[in-house]
Amino acid sequence: MLTAFALWLRATPLSLAIASHDWVIPAVQSLHIVTIAALIGSVLVINLRLLGLIELGQAVTALMDHYLPVVAISILVLALTGAVLILGEPTRALFRITFWIKMGLVLAASLLTWGLSRFSRTPSAVSGVGGAPVVLKTGAIVALLLWTAIIFAGRWIGYTEGWPGAPQ
Amino acid sequence: MTLSDLAERLKATPLSQAISGSDTLFPLLECVHVLAVVIVVGAIAIVDLRLLGLRARGRDIQELLNQFVPVTLGAFGIGFGAGALMFIAKPDTYLANAFFLAKMGLLTLAGANAVAFHLIFSRTLARTTAGVAAPLPARLSGLFSLSVWIAIIACGRWIGFTT
Repeated sequence: MLTAFALWLRATPLSLAIASHDWVIPAVQSLHIVTIAALIGSVLVINLRLLGLIELGQAVTALMDHYLPVVAISILVLALTGAVLILGEPTRALFRITFWIKMGLVLAASLLTWGLSRFSRTPSAVSGVGGAPVVLKTGAIVALLLWTAIIFAGRWIGYTEGWPGAPQ
Repeated sequence: MTLSDLAERLKATPLSQAISGSDTLFPLLECVHVLAVVIVVGAIAIVDLRLLGLRARGRDIQELLNQFVPVTLGAFGIGFGAGALMFIAKPDTYLANAFFLAKMGLLTLAGANAVAFHLIFSRTLARTTAGVAAPLPARLSGLFSLSVWIAIIACGRWIGFTT
């Protein structure tokens, strides 16, 4: 079914248009990476703050109010630019295990970030200036590891072979 | 010694052959490089967007620099190290690549801009506290920095499409 979908996608005028212009894929990949910089910059501030390593003069909740909208918009732009990349080469990433690992990690990191935001606003969490509870610190370490793994998985899509039966 | 002599000598080193002879070392270096690049650009963007008055207008610029310059320099060191190892693995390929040479030129510009910024504004920025707009030259420096770093990412990505 995925194969049928990919082959149908590859025959669409938009996919053919992307594939016939050599500059589209590197340009969209560049935009994808610039957006990853916006995302990683934002999650880095949030998680390093939860760990007490940076921006100690700022309240956790204030930083989250400032950076979480950037995270949300970045994920939206990444989904759109990623969709264009798939549209340009429908038989590539969709049939590589690293792409699906990356999608799973993105889901996990996004849910964890949402959870950290919710938890940091509960009365039991420290909402003002100063340290954060152990749960938040552990979550911050896991989040940073997840975002790092996402970048590694993303780079590795290009080094992964399609699985058996993948369309050429 | 010309650049191509240097490339040949680098290629003959055990380090170069170890990286280019391995299936996983080069991709791993790329992963570390990309991670470092996005941290560098993400951290720089936080400061540049404040200079431009587009984000964090309520923050003291010097305070933002104190928080994010160490992050930027640390990540830059890691990214530069990983990039240098990628270069050592295939120096002739990189030296013949126009996007690689453009990226190095842009990096020099970004570095010169950062040094000039710190030399010129390190004293006056103390007056640019929370809520105060940065002086026009500082704003232009931020715009230049942000544009150059986006171009560096594009050149870096394009290297892989031209080798």
